[in-house]
Amino acid sequence: MSSDAILVRGLEKRYGPKAAVDGLDLEVPRGSFFGFLGPNGAGKSTTIRILTGLIPFDRGTVEVLGFPLPGGDLEIKRRIGLVPDESLLFDRLSGAEYLEFAGRMYGLDRPAAMERARALLDLFELPAGRKMIAEYSKGMRKRVAMAASLVHHPELFLMDEPFEGVDAVGARLMKDILLRQVARGATVFLTSHVLEVVERLCDRVAIINEGKIAAAGTSEELRSGGESLEDVFVRIVGGGHLLAAREGLEWL
Amino acid sequence: MIGALLRAQFLVMRRTLGAGVALNIAGGVFWYGLWTLGAIGTFSLIASATEAKLPGVLSLVLAGVCVYWQAMPVISSTMGSSLDLRKLLAYPLPHGRLFAVEMLLRLVSGLEMLLVLTGAAAGLAMNPAGGGVVPMAGALAVFILFNLLLASGVKSLLERLLTRRKIRELIVLLTALLWVAPRFFMLTGYRTPMGKRALDSALAAGLPWSAAARAAMGQYRMAAWLSLLAWTAAAAWFGRAQFERSLRFDTAAALASPPESQRRASFADRLFRMPSRILPDPIGAVVEKELRTLARAPTFRNLFFMGFTFGLLVWLPMVVGRQGPSAHEDSFLSRHFLTIVSLYALTLLGQVTFWNCLAFDRSAAAFWFVTPQPISKVLMAKNIASQVPVYIEVAILTAISLALRLAHGWGEVAEAIAVVATCSIYMLAMGNVTSVEYPRGLNPERVSGGSGSSGRFQTLVLIFYPLALLPVGLAFLARYAFGSEAVFRGVLAAMLVCGALVYRVTLKSAADTADKRREALLTALSTGEGPVVT
Repeated sequence: MSSDAILVRGLEKRYGPKAAVDGLDLEVPRGSFFGFLGPNGAGKSTTIRILTGLIPFDRGTVEVLGFPLPGGDLEIKRRIGLVPDESLLFDRLSGAEYLEFAGRMYGLDRPAAMERARALLDLFELPAGRKMIAEYSKGMRKRVAMAASLVHHPELFLMDEPFEGVDAVGARLMKDILLRQVARGATVFLTSHVLEVVERLCDRVAIINEGKIAAAGTSEELRSGGESLEDVFVRIVGGGHLLAAREGLEWL
Repeated sequence: MIGALLRAQFLVMRRTLGAGVALNIAGGVFWYGLWTLGAIGTFSLIASATEAKLPGVLSLVLAGVCVYWQAMPVISSTMGSSLDLRKLLAYPLPHGRLFAVEMLLRLVSGLEMLLVLTGAAAGLAMNPAGGGVVPMAGALAVFILFNLLLASGVKSLLERLLTRRKIRELIVLLTALLWVAPRFFMLTGYRTPMGKRALDSALAAGLPWSAAARAAMGQYRMAAWLSLLAWTAAAAWFGRAQFERSLRFDTAAALASPPESQRRASFADRLFRMPSRILPDPIGAVVEKELRTLARAPTFRNLFFMGFTFGLLVWLPMVVGRQGPSAHEDSFLSRHFLTIVSLYALTLLGQVTFWNCLAFDRSAAAFWFVTPQPISKVLMAKNIASQVPVYIEVAILTAISLALRLAHGWGEVAEAIAVVATCSIYMLAMGNVTSVEYPRGLNPERVSGGSGSSGRFQTLVLIFYPLALLPVGLAFLARYAFGSEAVFRGVLAAMLVCGALVYRVTLKSAADTADKRREALLTALSTGEGPVVT
């Protein structure tokens, strides 16, 4: 079995003439806390959607937990927990109903799914009543999504901006849970625009820009020369975008 | 700012309509063509009216125009053009400008009435009893303004009322029933002296349409104009005040679910869990989830209630007629009343459960592709769930038909069930394919607007309905040709078996298609609305 949780070679995904992912190479070791960074539109979400089997790709090879894509879809899906950028939540279910439903869809029997749903609701301080997810705040929706990703005890977590809209207490809880998952041997692959969070949590980082990996390594390797991760990130993805470098914007 | 708003709306519409533009244009031409004919009819009615009858005829036309204009916000409360204030309040648009856009939309949503009024104006100009072009044009212009202001107020008021789920569903249901009620009373010959009195009162001189008619004809000039202007001023106050209240309205608070009693919740919960006691997971889990979702979707609830209310009001007069049920006992409709109303209910429910079965999932449909379950099982479970309300509907219709002696024994009940089962299986077979080929997200909060699908898809459904009904039609034809119940049952059973085979083949095909074009499918289901909800 491959020692990498995710192994991607020469991945390409085009939307018409535009390459969303353009020859991407990526290795995510098992048991790592992996930060996947990039500016808006760099191809992060597309990559996650490919890794989860949500969208097909045009070229390249993808292996997740030792199973190839396409082909190993069902085996991969059984083993991953997903917190996507777009909601996978069914609005007309309550949090408890959704978590139980998700558990059963991942093969848990009903009593076990109900038990875990109750425990997760309690852990994430979500309403146990019949309040529908449609009435939840953005932060609560993220917490339900996070809880659902945990219900079947996955080996790999794919998380697209998991802390977005979550309050400080909720975010702290989520970080603690993710660290515990890594400690038990699971792999966490997350994207975030909050570089301080990535810097603190992730042992390995890759920066994607215009569909290609622009830099990869441990946090320490990337931050050589005393730079912060933000400095590295801005330098790599294009300092020309900075306000100081723009002309004709005196009015701003 | 208004230009920017209209452009944004145009861009969203252009993207949403896509390949269906031609069909939408054709539909528009047909619709406005019909109203042009109506306008010509109005013209000839008014142009040929005698001097004595002209005030009454014109008042009646204007009253009809007013009712239609005011009813439009009810009809199109969620499916017609309306400003989505939640999206626009974030921008620095003065309320006056928003109100102007709102008035413009009221005008656009009543273009049919402009056609009718043009016909009325032309007829009045041709009628020797008319009062001249200037008073007519002035009075009709003020009458249009009155209608726009009133319609804006009615819409704003309704918009707030409709935010409360139960009220919204009730209003939409009552509106649907009101549309068929006149036909029901006319066909059954139900008339009362009160109806005549109500009509006379509706045309009384002090009312806006009568005042506008008399002002347009130059009769009682001072009193008519004063009355019309007073009504317009009142409508202006009402329209603006309601609009302002809507701007300040807290939608989130109104949407919040009231706390439910534990007892009721646990009873409902037991009901929802019943299918998954019989069915294994993942099918059981999906059926349970679907039933919960459908029961909580106002769109579906409305269609469900319409199945045994609207459906009965549509078909009942044809059976009962003016002479009572006994006079029609031998008609085809009378002998198969339960079967027909059940099929009608099936077609209503099919709009959201068969033809576009992923509609309520919207962007969450991605869930089906990230869980380790084949999509064929998800579709099958959705199909099973869709049958539960169908048979509840049939049970309700059976009870009503037996109580009203419109069904004569259990043989007719068995026939209705068998026919519904046969049609269902063909509709499910075709529906699975259309659900993945022409998916479109549907807001479950909408209480009207049908399947929410594209014009192209709606046209296809018009072809699919007869196809799904064809096997049943063949069974009835065989009974008619051979005069034998046994032949009818045999053909129906054969069609059911054949339907099961077709279902099996199309399910696999639909699942393969869903897998292949999942990206396009998910994109279609996630598409949102522009600043103007259409």
